[in-house]
Amino acid sequence: MADVRLVDIEKKYGNFLAVPQLNLTIEDGEFLVLLGPSGCGKTTTMRMIAGLEEITSGDIEIAGKRINDKPPKDRDIAMVFQNYGLYPHMTVRQNIDYPLKLRGVDRAARTRRVQETAEKVELEALLERRPSELSGGQRQRVALARAIVRTPSIFLMDEPLSNLDAKLRVTMRAELKHLHHELGVTTVYVTHDQMEAMTLASRIAIMREGRIVQLDTPKRIYSEPADLFVAGFIGSPSMNLIDGAIAGGVFTAPGVSFPVDQPDRDDVVLGIRPEDLEISTAPDAPVIGKLYALELTGESTLVTLRTGANSVCARGPADHEAEINAPCHFVPKPGARVHLFDRPSGHRLDGLSAKGQTL
Amino acid sequence: MLPYWLLIPAFVIVLATTIYPLAYSFVTSFREWDLTKQRRPDGFVGFDNYLHAASESGFQNSLWVTTIFVVTSVALTLVIAMSLALLLRRKGRMHTFTRIVLILPFAMSPALIGVSYRFMFNPEFGVLAKGLGAVFPALEGMPWLADPNLAMAILVLTDVWHWAPYMTFMCLGGLASIPRETEEAARIDGASYLRIFFGIILPQMKGVLLVTAVLKTIFALKMFDQVVTLTGGGPGTSTETLAFFVFNVGFKWYDMGYASALAWILTAIMMLISIWYVRMLLSDRKMATA
Ligand SMILES: Nc1ncnc2c1ncn2[C@@H]1O[C@H](COP(=O)(O)OP(=O)(O)OP(=O)(O)O)[C@@H](O)[C@H]1O
Ligand SMILES: [Mg+2]
Repeated sequence: MADVRLVDIEKKYGNFLAVPQLNLTIEDGEFLVLLGPSGCGKTTTMRMIAGLEEITSGDIEIAGKRINDKPPKDRDIAMVFQNYGLYPHMTVRQNIDYPLKLRGVDRAARTRRVQETAEKVELEALLERRPSELSGGQRQRVALARAIVRTPSIFLMDEPLSNLDAKLRVTMRAELKHLHHELGVTTVYVTHDQMEAMTLASRIAIMREGRIVQLDTPKRIYSEPADLFVAGFIGSPSMNLIDGAIAGGVFTAPGVSFPVDQPDRDDVVLGIRPEDLEISTAPDAPVIGKLYALELTGESTLVTLRTGANSVCARGPADHEAEINAPCHFVPKPGARVHLFDRPSGHRLDGLSAKGQTL
Repeated sequence: MLPYWLLIPAFVIVLATTIYPLAYSFVTSFREWDLTKQRRPDGFVGFDNYLHAASESGFQNSLWVTTIFVVTSVALTLVIAMSLALLLRRKGRMHTFTRIVLILPFAMSPALIGVSYRFMFNPEFGVLAKGLGAVFPALEGMPWLADPNLAMAILVLTDVWHWAPYMTFMCLGGLASIPRETEEAARIDGASYLRIFFGIILPQMKGVLLVTAVLKTIFALKMFDQVVTLTGGGPGTSTETLAFFVFNVGFKWYDMGYASALAWILTAIMMLISIWYVRMLLSDRKMATA
């Protein structure tokens, strides 16, 4: 068990600044997810924690001790790699056993621990196989077993589910969550899949170009995105973002007018999630345009209308039917959240309230 | 029918340049043929030529010399190639440069290598002989190529020098195909560098090293040029390898029947090694996919 503190850590590859001045504290027992688009420095950050990548400057502390110069093996971490990194010439048993063997655990204890761990991830029947004879999901579980067998104080997982098919991903996600609950080990988890992040995380750190743009619980990241990037990144389909201006307590853009309690200003972006809008026939609806597309997703229909240069999407009932190009009106659902952002900086306009404005 | 007609020219060429000489030498190996006496092969003598080899000291000596040469040269080349590959694996500033320099020895003709090493180890004016003598006074005036053991050592040295670069590139290829994560996982699991090498890298290099070893063995068995230009088989018969001995029997003593038999013995040895290698490879594959 341990907390991890990253203090002003920085990573340069030659002249390229991959991670600038990152500060992050991961609490003991927490499941922290690093989420962000490809190339934003998630893997680099994780590898610096693991000690596989030298840090250019800054400090890393684990359980209050500075470990900058410690080799990976002395950091009491275990890592699950994106493509597993299993030892191809060893059987599943030997793979799981290897960390114990290296640490000089005696034979009897090793046999027992390997057996217990294999049972935990349901690999008992496959112990004598080699990695090449396993399916992707099974390999994944071997990698997991190898990581948990010696109960480290920190788990590092780099997109461990990205190679699996959608169904297995959901199953393994639940298994991971259960495992974390059971072992309670501090976990840093990298992904670019927001669903994975939302479901697994105690807290999510959203990264962009090496910087953390928001660090918060999944709930608050969803309900209070700190800036336009987070607002657009989290949620599927993503939040409607409409450029406009506030005048006289009303946000206006072509075809859009929302009452907001904000002082007048230009260059404002209004954000509202598709699930916060519903289809209406009211003539004075805040969003009015022409129907652009209908997409049935199964449990609902995504309705997109166009007005001026903007497209606005709403989640409607699955049985909704209408003609393309027909007039279409959206109104916010009761309790819907409207988010306002400053266009130039992208920051959330926090004059209204920390929780966003509820209609 | 036409496709078969079109194959004929290629077939004729292969027949004339490969199959015919092979078959001819095979048949000759069962005949008596002293080129100083006859222009055509003489009568069949059954296995006499092969039996002769079993009791003839020249052949037995060459077999022994070849064994020593092959074993030391293959072992040294592999160890050096693997070490160099480990050193060159990380891409540094001199990356391209070192690789170009590295390939130079391999680009040189083996005969030329023999000649230049003979010069360099000449006790009177050889660069290496003089240089070594200057650093280690005990070695001053050492008759390098006149001593049977030293001559063999230098012969091995030329061959290792010639082949190590090529084998280094093979090892580099092998190393590049090892997933980086396996080493990193081992580092996190707590393995020392030595353990990572022996426990993680080497096992994954098994296939490549096997190919390298077999290729190098066959090349070493065939090694001929340097014997001619460096030692001439001497001093005495101390560096008379099988390939060189076959040449002597055939083109110095003109005993073509015996020479053919010896050549086929050499071929049989190489074939056995190849078969063993293919077996190893197949069994390895079975293990990986069963
Ligand atoms: N060895 C390296 N040399 C130079 N640049 C590198 C190196 N490794 C990573 N980078 C750069 O650092 C940045 C961050 O890379 P990183 O691998 O951390 O991204 P990531 O967030 O893990 O992306 P992904 O989701 O695609 O895995 C990228 O722009 C990448 O090009
Ligand atoms: Mg990555």
